Order: sequence, then structure tokens, then C-alpha cells
Amino acid sequence: MSLLAALNWIQHLGWAVAIKESSLAFPLIEGSHILALSFSVGMVMMLDLRLLLLSFRSQPVSLIMRQLMPWTMAGFVVMLVTGLLLFAAQAVKAYGNTFFRIKMILLVLAGINALYYQLWYYPKMAEWDFGGTPRGVRIIAVLSLIFWIGVIACGRTMAYEL
Amino acid sequence: MLQALVDRFVQWCYYSKDYAFIRDTPYGVPLVQSLHLTGITLLLGITVVLNLRLLGLGFKRLPLPFLAEQLWPWAKAGMAVTIVSGILVFLPDPTRYAHSGPFRLKMALLCLALLYQFTIFRKAIGTDPELRPRLRNSVLGCVSLLLWFGVGWSGRAIAFFQ
Repeated sequence: MSLLAALNWIQHLGWAVAIKESSLAFPLIEGSHILALSFSVGMVMMLDLRLLLLSFRSQPVSLIMRQLMPWTMAGFVVMLVTGLLLFAAQAVKAYGNTFFRIKMILLVLAGINALYYQLWYYPKMAEWDFGGTPRGVRIIAVLSLIFWIGVIACGRTMAYEL
Repeated sequence: MLQALVDRFVQWCYYSKDYAFIRDTPYGVPLVQSLHLTGITLLLGITVVLNLRLLGLGFKRLPLPFLAEQLWPWAKAGMAVTIVSGILVFLPDPTRYAHSGPFRLKMALLCLALLYQFTIFRKAIGTDPELRPRLRNSVLGCVSLLLWFGVGWSGRAIAFFQ
């Protein structure tokens, strides 16, 4: 089965059609997807601000991370579930949309960026937990902000026929 | 009388050459909408953090007045981006919004949310919530969340309902 055939099969599943055709389900799922940004990306932004020494300077990074993490994760779970539902309801159209593709690439880049932080800098955190952050961490924070704002912009722009 | 004033204003916006470029360039509106959503992510994210702390649901290792002091400037930055970009969404296409029910609801809730944010809420987050009865903190937090998410949901509704 080709990719396009698979996407076509997905969007003709009973529940995917139901979401697309419901005058209430689609707005509710889309609204949840967008407003959950405050939990997911909003909290990533706050961690980035700490890494860039623009906020919470007097507190260790590990503490800010620990306090933000459960809510950030909850936010990303909502983003993923609602995002998959929205995608299923219009799979072929989304797949053909340039901004959807850029959004997916940016999501992967944001993921790699976060993974690099976790694997490279997180184990050595004891060395830089208080006060200043290493240059590499600050670069990661800037990239994180760029990638996530890019994800938001592409997600929003997808709605326009461009 | 009020209706006539609104109509005059809408006409003035629509025929004003200053904002027409936003509606006339293909990427104008998506770009301004993306900025709007980025500002919302930051503002709403910070509002969620402060309210979770107020409600006793998270961030317990950080005192509320400290959280407020660190995050308030960024909440204001997010608010500024959101409001300026919001005005730039409205001005080039006022007819779409001025007569929309959800938009009017959004503006009414926004006025209440801003009023609450800079009076009662700012005072509440400036003091230790442990010094107040639990119920009082719950009411203070729930009102803030209901107002801001009410603004968000009614904003989303503009795209779907009359």
C-alpha cells in the first residue's frame, strides 16, 4: 500500500470522518490542540529563559526543570493525541501541505535538540546547575525557541491555502 | 448610535491604506496570526504556572511571590506581542470581526481578564498563598483560568461560529 493510499484509508476510518464532519468535535479538538500550547511549548519557553539566564537566575536549573517537567509532559501528551486526531481527519490534505511538512521537520529538529541536551549536558548538570550555563546549553536554548516558534507559525499557517 | 460609531470605525479601518498590505500580501495574515499565537503561548503558559502554584497543584518548591517576580515581566512581554499582533489581525479585516458574536465575547472577556490580572490577581500572587484560606486561593486561581481560557476559546470560536 502506498503512503497516499494509507493516508486515504486513515481519513476514511469511521472516527476520522466523524471528527471531520462534526461541527463541534473538530473545533473542540483543534482548540485543545492550540490552548495546550500553554502547557507544552509555554513551559519549554520558561526553561529556555532560565537556560539563557533571562529568568530564575538565582535558582538551579535542575529545580526549575523538575518543577516544570510533569506539566510540560502532560501538555505534550494532549498535543500529540489531539494532533493525531486532527491529522487523521484530513490526512491527505495535511500531507500535501508544505507548511505541515516544514512543521514536521521542525518537530524532529526540536526533538533532536532536546535529546542532545538530555544526553550530553544533563548528565554533567552538577557542573553548571547553579548560576551561569555553558555556551552549548545557551545555543540549545536559542535553537529550542526558534524551532518551537517555527512549529507554532507553520501550524498556524497550515490553515491558509498558500 | 453605538452601532453607527462601530460601523464608521470599521469602514475607516477597511479603507485605510496603512493596514491594507497585511491583507494584500499572501503571508501577511498568517505571519501576524503566528505572532499572535506565539504571544499567547508565553502569556497563557505563565498564567497557568502562576495559577497552578496558587491552587497548590505544582511548583511547590518555588514561593509564589518569587515565581510572580520572575515571570511577570515575561507575561507582560507575551501580552504586548499578543495585543499588538491581535490589533494587526483586526485592522485590515474589521468587517469579519466587528459583527462576530465570538469576537465580541472575546473582547468582553479580555477586558475583564486584563482588569482582574492587574488588580486582584497581581495582588494575590504577590503574597504567600499559605497565609490565605485554601478556598480563597482556589477561587482566585479558578477565576483567572476561566477568564484567560475563556478569551482563548472564544478566540478559537471566531473561526468556526458566527
